[in-house]
Parts: sequence; C-alpha cells; structure tokens
Amino acid sequence: MSAIMDILLRLLAWLVLAPLVPGVINKVKAWVACRQGPPVLQLYYDLARLWRKGVVVSTLASPGFVIAPAVAWVAVVGAALLLPLAGAGTPVSFDGDVLLLIYLLALARFCTAWGAMETGSAFEGMGAAREVSYAVLAEVGIITAVLTLVVQSGSISLSSMFAPLPGPSAALLAVGLFIILLAENCRVPFDDPNTHLELTMIHEVMVLDHSGPPLAMILHGASIKLMLFAALLAQTVLPLAELPLAASVAVLALAVLLTAVAVGLVESLTARLAFRRVPLLLTIGFLFCLFPLLLTWMGDI
Amino acid sequence: MISALLGTAALALVLACALGARPRLWLALNSLGALAGLGSAATVLTGGRGWALRSALTLGGENVFLTLDALSALFLTLVCLVGGLGALYASEYWPDEHFPRSAPRGRSWWSALVLSMGLVLTCANGLHFLFAWEAFALSAYFLITLDRERSEVRRAGWLYLAASHAGTMALFAFFSALAAGVGTWDLGPLRDRPDLAPLFWLALVGFGVKAGMFPLHIWLPSAHAGAPSHVSAIMSAVAVKMGVYGIVRFSGWLPVPDDAGWAVLGIGCASALMGIVFAMAQNDIKRLLAYCTVENVGIILIGLGLALLAAAHGHPAWGHVALAGSLLHVFNHCLFKTLLFFGAGSVLHATGTRDMSRLGGLWRTMPWTAALFAVGAAAVSGLPPLNGFVSEWAIYQGLLKAVAQKGETFGVLPAVIVLAGTGALALGAFAKASAIVFLGAPRGKTSGHAAEFGFAMRAAMVVPAAIMLCVGLMPGYFFNMVQACIAAWTPQWAPAAPPIPVRAIGGAHTALACALAAAAIIALRKVRAGGIRRGPTWDCGYAAPSAHMQYTGGSFAGIVTGWFRWALRPERRIRRVRGYFPESALALERVPETVLEKGIEPAARTVMLLADAARSLQHGRLHLYILYVFLGVTALGMLVFQGGM
Repeated sequence: MSAIMDILLRLLAWLVLAPLVPGVINKVKAWVACRQGPPVLQLYYDLARLWRKGVVVSTLASPGFVIAPAVAWVAVVGAALLLPLAGAGTPVSFDGDVLLLIYLLALARFCTAWGAMETGSAFEGMGAAREVSYAVLAEVGIITAVLTLVVQSGSISLSSMFAPLPGPSAALLAVGLFIILLAENCRVPFDDPNTHLELTMIHEVMVLDHSGPPLAMILHGASIKLMLFAALLAQTVLPLAELPLAASVAVLALAVLLTAVAVGLVESLTARLAFRRVPLLLTIGFLFCLFPLLLTWMGDI
Repeated sequence: MISALLGTAALALVLACALGARPRLWLALNSLGALAGLGSAATVLTGGRGWALRSALTLGGENVFLTLDALSALFLTLVCLVGGLGALYASEYWPDEHFPRSAPRGRSWWSALVLSMGLVLTCANGLHFLFAWEAFALSAYFLITLDRERSEVRRAGWLYLAASHAGTMALFAFFSALAAGVGTWDLGPLRDRPDLAPLFWLALVGFGVKAGMFPLHIWLPSAHAGAPSHVSAIMSAVAVKMGVYGIVRFSGWLPVPDDAGWAVLGIGCASALMGIVFAMAQNDIKRLLAYCTVENVGIILIGLGLALLAAAHGHPAWGHVALAGSLLHVFNHCLFKTLLFFGAGSVLHATGTRDMSRLGGLWRTMPWTAALFAVGAAAVSGLPPLNGFVSEWAIYQGLLKAVAQKGETFGVLPAVIVLAGTGALALGAFAKASAIVFLGAPRGKTSGHAAEFGFAMRAAMVVPAAIMLCVGLMPGYFFNMVQACIAAWTPQWAPAAPPIPVRAIGGAHTALACALAAAAIIALRKVRAGGIRRGPTWDCGYAAPSAHMQYTGGSFAGIVTGWFRWALRPERRIRRVRGYFPESALALERVPETVLEKGIEPAARTVMLLADAARSLQHGRLHLYILYVFLGVTALGMLVFQGGM
C-alpha cells in the first residue's frame, strides 16, 4: 500500500513541479537581458489554456497524430518514475531498470518522429530526421555515462547505481551530461524552444502542426524530460545517498534549480551552433562521458 | 508422443510437397504439419527432455539418427510458426489466378523448404545433416527464383546459390574433419576433445554465410528483395536462423578456441552496426528489412559471443543472461521480421512497388497494414513494452554485468556502446520505413488506389503481432522456454533460472501497456470532444504544399548516410538546372552493396582477367606445346641437378 502511495506521490511531484523548470530558465534569460520576462508559472497557464482548446489537424494526418503525443507523454512520465530521487530511492527498482529508462525515452522519440511525419510537411520531416540522427550520438553518450556508473558502483540497478564518483570523473561526467541535456531537451546551442522559423531547428520543428491538448502533452512531457535529465545529472555527480533524507532532497532540488539557471545562462550567453557543428559538439559530449569511464575502469588497477 | 507428432508433421509435409497443385489441400496439410511440429517442439521445450531415434534404416551407408533437444526444438518452433503462417499468407498473396505457373511450384518448394529445415534441426548424423542442408539450400533457391522472368531475380538467385555453396564447402570440410577426428559421423556433445576446437572457425564461416553475418551477408539483400514476400519472410525469419542454429549448436557441442568469444562478439558488433547503417540508407523497403536482418543477427551474435566468453572464463552469471537474451532474440526476430515482411508484401501487393520514394499516405487505404507495421517497427527498434526490448534488455544485462565485474572484460565496453548506437539507428531506420511508406501524402499515383488485403494475409500478420505482445507482457514463460535450451547448450549452467528480474520487467511492461492504452484513448476522446478542425498542413505558412515537397527516405537518412559515407559509398547522378532552356533537373542516389560491388566483384574480375591471360597459353599450336614440355622437362632437370649437387 505504501509503495502505491509512494508512486502516486512521486507522480504528483513530477507532474506538478516539472513545468517550473522552463519557467526558471525563462526568468534567468530575462534577467540576463534586463527584461521582466514571463512569470515563472507561465507554462502552467499555457498548459491549462491548451488543454481547453480545440484541435486543428492536417488533412493528411491519421489518428496516430493524436495518439503519438499521448504515448510519448506516458513514456516520459514512466521514465521519470523509474528514476530514484535523492536518498529516497524508488519503489520500482530492478536490475536493468536503467535500460528501461533509456528505451522509454526512445519510445517517446519514436512517437514524436511519427507524429511529425504524419503531416507530410518537409519542415517537420527534416526535424524528425535530425532528431533520430542526433539521438544516436546522444544515446551513445548516455550509455557511456551509465557504463561509468555501472563500473563505479558494480550495480546495474538505478537505485544503487549512483555511487559517488571521484572528483575529476564527476566533473567530466557533469560536463558531458550537461551537453547531452542541452541536446536532448532542445536548448541553445542545439536548438531553440522560442523560435519556430529557423532552418537549424531539431526538436521544436517536429511539433509545429500540433495544437490543443496534444500540444499540451508535448510541452508538459518536454518539461518532465528536462527535469528528468537535470535530476539524473545531479545524482550522477553528487553523493546524495550519503546525506540524510531531508538534506539530500533539499540538495537535489537545489541542484535541479542550479541546472536550470545554468541552462538559462548558456542560452543567454551563447549563440546557436552552426548546423554542421552539432554532431561535433555531441561527440565532445560523448568524449566527456568516455573519459570518466576510462578513468573509473583504470581506477582500481 | 514426440515420434508420432514429428512423424505426422513429416508425412503431412511430404504429401504437401507432392500436392502443390491443390491449394486448399496443400494449405490444410501444411498447417497440419506446422501444428504437429509445433506440438513436438512445445513438448520438448516445456518437458525439458530430449527425444532421440536411431533407426536401422541406412542412408548413404549411415544409420538414420534423429534427435530433438530443447535447442533444436526452439528453432523448430520458428520453422513451424513461419511455415504455417507463410502458407496461409501465400494462399492469398501468390494465388493460382495471378501466377498459374509459379504458384503450384512455389507451394511444393515451400513444403520442401519447411521439411528440409526441420530435417536440418533433427539430423544428428553429419552426413545426413549435409544432405538436409543441401536440400534446404536448394529449395530456398527455387523459392527465391519463383518469379524467374525478371533478370534481377535470376541474378539474386545465382548470387544466393554461389554464396550458399561457398558456405557449404566450409561445412563439408567441417563435417569431414569432425568425422575423421571422432571416427563416426554421429553428432553429439564432444566437450572433452580440445583438439577439435580449431574446427570452430570452419563452422563459423560455413554457418555464418547462411546466417548473413557481416561481411558474408552479400547474398542476403538481393535475395530477400527479389523473392516473393512470404519467401522473404521465411528466409529472413527462419532460414537465416539455421546458420545461427549451426553456430550455437556446434559451439555448444564442441570445445571452442580461446578467442572464439571475442571473435563472435566482434563479428556481432560489426554486423549489428553495418547492417543497420546499410538498412538506413536503403530506399527499397524489402532491402531495408533484409539489412535489418543482418543487424539482428549481429545482436544475436553479440549475446552468443558474450556467452562463449563467459563459458571460457567461468562466469555463468552473465553468460547465462546473455545467452538467454540471444536465444530469445532469435525467437523475437522471427516474429517481427515475419510481420514486417508480410506488411511489406501487402504494400507491394497493393501498390506494385517496393520503392519508398513512390509510396506514402498508405494508412488511409491500408489501416491494418499501417498499424501492424508500426507495431513491428516499434518492436524491431527494441521499444518497450514489446518483445524486442525484452531480449535486447537481457543481452544488455549480460553486457553490463560483465562490465560491472571488470577484470578481463574491457573489450565488452565497446560492444555496449555499439549496441546502444545500433538501437538508436534502428529506431531511425524504422521511423523512416514506416513513416515514409504509410504517412504523409501519396508520392506517386501508385499509392492512390491501393486497397487493404483479405482475411488470410491479415490473420498471418495479426498472429505474430499477438505473440509479440505476449512476449512483451509475459516474458517469464518465454524465458523458461529459453532456459531449457541453455541447459542443452551447457549443462553446467542448467539449474538456475536466468538471474534477471523477468517478473519485474513483465510487470513494468504490463503497467506501461495499460497506461499507454489509457492515454491513447483519453487523448482521442478529449480531442474529439473538443472538436477537430481539419486543414492543410501548415508547413510554415507555405501556400501550396504538394506531395513532392515532403521529406523523402533518402533525405530522412541523409545525415546518417553522410556519417557513414566511407562505408556506404553512395552513387549519385545529379543533373542541375543550367542554361536558358534547361533540361529537367534530376537527382538519383543509390547505395550499392558495398562489400559485393566494391570488394568481391573487383576481386573476382581480377581472377577472371588472370584466367583469361592464362588461357592465351592454350592456342592449339603443337610445336609450342612441345616447347612447353621441353622447357618443363629442362626446368625439372635443373632442379634435380641442383638437388644432386
């Protein structure tokens, strides 16, 4: 019974808190640009409004156009539920759950690409192609980071995988995961969630033709994914499990907040990357994950 | 019980071979054979006890010796499953009305193929194994070239035959050397003869050609693409697995060299990565599926290689898991590849083309195919909660456990990274395949008037989809099935169940499937309740969108094919618009079968050139021949003289 309560609580926390992260990022960006910016809760208002709206669907689209965002949203939420939080662990934990997490994100990606291709738009097709191609590099980076954790902890379950890494490895891995976070969550320098009319778009272009409740699911799912990556990054490099529960939850929250601020700063201070450089930066992200893996492997020898 | 079932199956299939001209009776006999075969395989797999029959009957001077243990029963399941489903599919797909000449012939060869593959799995005598193997190779050849009016098909058939026999040559050497070493043609466990270990390399080459492992896969794409779709399905889902069976079988029965594990792991990685990269670059939907088979064989070999490593170093914990995943992936790949080839066949049936750049928007006219193909595409990309994830997850677990243990397993790290990249590429390739064919607007006239197919073909696709979902939601049963095979492979690993949380993944999958279904229904209802307005695709406000502006398969794959240009070597023909009265522009891109066209064919041409050059020595002029003899004798004499000194 308590396990079910635990899951429901986590679900509620993810659903309710996640839209804050983009709000914080936008606030930081506004602050750097000396603007007032939208309120931190803006995404909540947007979601509420979108949920009540009707839908415009392309004449070419099948029912899959509506189903795909729903499936993607469930997949992202499922992935978030697998992630243990701070010292509290997770009620759903088994060997190899980390792979389920990665593949749930892949399921979400498949559905988003599917939804994009439904419209027959060249622009969205381009986005889908870029998404699935760059995801190869991102996924390779993520699995390398996971390998580092596996080697360090000797465990293949998320709940016991986040063993503290030695300083240099942790720092390298943090940079690598941060780059992957930016790429996977359509942030500058890879992509820009605020514009819709640029030929360097990746993720954002795939949702151009969505509207109403499906768009709400996409936006909400994106915020959950962002928070998921931030939490993953924080737990990978911070020894949270060693702190008492309350402290570790507080540190985790602070770390997610700091990640959001960092994303906002990066978005304010850098320009979007020339398109042909995207694979290069992703490869650099992968290398930042690979070196800690080698360091960790060699550590004991 | 098993004898009776297998006897029934064999009898039914022999009759079916003879009665190819009577479609209904043939279908009934074939189904009976498949069901009886499935029954016997299920008995062995659930009971866990093997079956053996040594008959007094001799063939080629050897007693007929048949066995069926769990490992062969697993592969027999594939044979019977696809043998039955494909027969059902063929009855609608390749009917007498449209193919009066080739349809009866095709039916006879189909039964012959199923029967001979069954024999390959049950023969425990090296000589008879080779007979059955040849019969299997030949009946497959006649099925591939069923549509032999087309030269492309004849070429594919010839290439298949050549490659297959190159492999068989290695197998002849393997079985003869084995028989010479052991003193009998009978096959069976010989784990205490380390001197036989080097024979493994012969078996790996011989069976590897059939399994389509990179770079011996050259025959596979053209054969799968040219054959009728039910034949492509059985070739890809089952026939290729006979090669895998051979490798698994003999690596279990015979001792293997020390490096066998690393070699198989390396070949697996190469096959997986190159297979999916080539798949991504294809514009022919059946060639795409064929290359994807190379990828999946690679994944299977990664698991097997890891199991061999574990056996060599004495680590049952992860070897067991990897082998379980590998064998389950054999079963899974059979399911989704059958489904996908049947789906591709329906598209071909309805539109008359396999060229993705002329398809599109088919979901409207073929909703069943589109939905089932999407399920197959998700499964083959390893997405939860379907079956592909379960087996890949097990293989990953084996790899990660090997990594977690550290020690001598450093080489496993790249394998994990390759497998991850392969998974992401597979997702891209199948997002491309299903989206370009079924979504968007029709790209040509062909897909405008396509129509959904009838009951038989639909049933043949629904059954594998249903089993796929079962594997995803209740993996426990299927892991038990695989468990018996592992016991047959290495008895030492027998007692324990695979040490992975199968129950947990089943539970997670079930919860996920419920949540996904609920979300889909809620979303559809919510959207319908809110009112749907239909309009043209917005496309950034472009005023007159046309079907030609859509992303094509080639452009979808462009980024990845760009990364792998060194391996793919695409051939381009581009005619730009130039001058005052320009010709129409043109851009064609074709990705060749690089290994064949850039590697083997030039080598073969060189050999032919040398042979031609040598032929000019033979011209029919007697005095020059006498000169050759004189020169030869002189040379020999010199040699003898030198030796005498």
